Amino acid sequence: MTAGWSDAAHAARLTWRSLGMAVTAILAQKLRGVFVASAVALGIAALTVIVASVDGAREKALEIVEWFGPNAVMVLGGDIENRPVGQRVLTLTWDDARAISRSLPGVMAVVPMRSKPSVVLRHEAKNVVAPVVVGATENYADTWDWPLDEGRDLTLEDIERSAKVCLIGDAPAKALFGDASPLGKTILVQDLPVQVVGRLAYRGFTGGGGDTSVDDRIIMPITTLTQRFNMDRKYFRGLRVKFHDPSLMDSHLENLKSLLRHQHGIGPGEPDDFSLLSAADILKFLSAVTGGMTVFLGVTAGVAILVGGFVLANLMYLSVSERREEIGLRKALGAPGWAVTVQFLCEACVLTVVGAVLGIGIGIGLGEILSSLGLLKLVLTPKIPILSLAAALGIALVFGIRPARKAASLDPIEALRGGGE
Amino acid sequence: MADSLSLPPSATPPGAAVGPVVRLEDIAKSYLLGDVRSHVLRDVTLTIETGEFTAIQGPSGSGKSTLLHILGLLDRPTSGNYFLCGENVASLDDDALSARRNATIGFVFQSFYLIPYATALDNVLLPGMYADTPKHVLRQRGLALLDQVGLADRAGHRPSQLSGGQQQRVALARALINNPDLILADEPTGQLDSKTGEEIMALLADINARAGKTVLVVTHDDATAAHARRRILVHDGRVV
Repeated sequence: MTAGWSDAAHAARLTWRSLGMAVTAILAQKLRGVFVASAVALGIAALTVIVASVDGAREKALEIVEWFGPNAVMVLGGDIENRPVGQRVLTLTWDDARAISRSLPGVMAVVPMRSKPSVVLRHEAKNVVAPVVVGATENYADTWDWPLDEGRDLTLEDIERSAKVCLIGDAPAKALFGDASPLGKTILVQDLPVQVVGRLAYRGFTGGGGDTSVDDRIIMPITTLTQRFNMDRKYFRGLRVKFHDPSLMDSHLENLKSLLRHQHGIGPGEPDDFSLLSAADILKFLSAVTGGMTVFLGVTAGVAILVGGFVLANLMYLSVSERREEIGLRKALGAPGWAVTVQFLCEACVLTVVGAVLGIGIGIGLGEILSSLGLLKLVLTPKIPILSLAAALGIALVFGIRPARKAASLDPIEALRGGGE
Repeated sequence: MADSLSLPPSATPPGAAVGPVVRLEDIAKSYLLGDVRSHVLRDVTLTIETGEFTAIQGPSGSGKSTLLHILGLLDRPTSGNYFLCGENVASLDDDALSARRNATIGFVFQSFYLIPYATALDNVLLPGMYADTPKHVLRQRGLALLDQVGLADRAGHRPSQLSGGQQQRVALARALINNPDLILADEPTGQLDSKTGEEIMALLADINARAGKTVLVVTHDDATAAHARRRILVHDGRVV
């Protein structure tokens, strides 16, 4: 059985011709072909969605790290992981902020944050609801690595004087001013006239699901926000601490934690009354959510592909027994066993590849629906068609080989006698 | 499968071109049915020379079908030697037998056996596909053969669109596509009315006379056998 080059070439040509015949044979059994192709299509559709959503989740994770900053940590009041009943959430003070920026090594900036949800913004006849008005200290854009399209950042002077100024996000700027520049204009924040001094660049990023975008916000000096809206002046909801060197984050977090415990007078063994949240923690939380989805989709895709394979195998067995006469004839006319195997595998491949193309279409459609519902973020990459075609050919070969072998093993005399009168 | 794959049509082994197409020596075929051995063929010795038109005749159960299967390399004898175009085929494996069938024998069957979803032309070309004949050469040859059997205008028709006689003509063209040394026809008129049967036999006689092809017809029908120049009777597994 030493197959020379000419034999290999013959086998290749015969395979090519078998592909052509496969199409004719399939067209002779259209309904059956539709069954196999749609069974495979469902599996491939699930595969498409899962690949696209895994890629989407990864892209989102990278966005979050970039937005949050790999060298930053959020300090939140209260222990979010195991919050004891009745524990105070407002535990972070100006003293804490000062202590961190003065005595913690490696700190680049400390930004206290307060915010006020759902505030109506108005300009002339137009109004829009900002889901959040953020109170910040100086250099907001700089500390969040958020470039300004125009205007200036908040300054120390703004903070100290509780100036009635704000930075405006992309969404409210568009809603209130259209394409015109909002710079220097005065808007009403609830009833407080505030001058727009800067416009934040478009981020196009939804933080952690839901329908709010980071572009919806406006930023005011934290002093202005607390004084004018009668909010508690002593405490912050959160503090953002930015360090110089991201590679030292672990020890930075340790230091920050002991400093705050000391500041708050927490004894050994007592629980923290604050939480530290780094980009890595957010990712962990997010991947737990999307991970569940991925496992579900993965199992669905696997089962669907398996079902497609079984449908293929069964209909191929049926086809082999119906076409005994044809198989016997081919063998009698000189088809070697392998040529019959190749012929049936070709038919299987054509069907599953048609199924794959259908499946990619269905998958993309499904993905559009899922992402428009905000359930998943999907990213389409060339990986999808490549993986889908590979899966389709895999199904054809794995599930098709046994029926194809069975066809090849038929005895031509028996096969012809079985079909004859 | 090695060398046999690339065999050109009518691949008679070198030096064996002269001499008988078929030579059977003491061919026997028996089956074991439970504890009883049933002998279907015994001591069949037979020579068919190149260019002969022979009919093998016998009632059903005489063993003529088994003889046909052995002659057509679809079955192996229990004992004895079979020289096809001078080559002893007893020791060949299945794929080698496939290749010999493809290159050396042209089959015509009682129930035509055309592939229902393929056109007449594609049916004619089928054996050529396994012989690896280049496509354009094959196509030209197939169209010429369809023309010879009077179906030039039916090349694109499917078997269901053809009459029984036309289907058997397509099968005849198919049997000739690889230019075989031996045409083996199994009850070629069995499913045709007598007039159409006559036409098919006339065509076979024509192929024998004009192309010099060796033709072997297996039949139980006297009228069909009458077309042959030589008649061999099989009875109870023996050549009489």
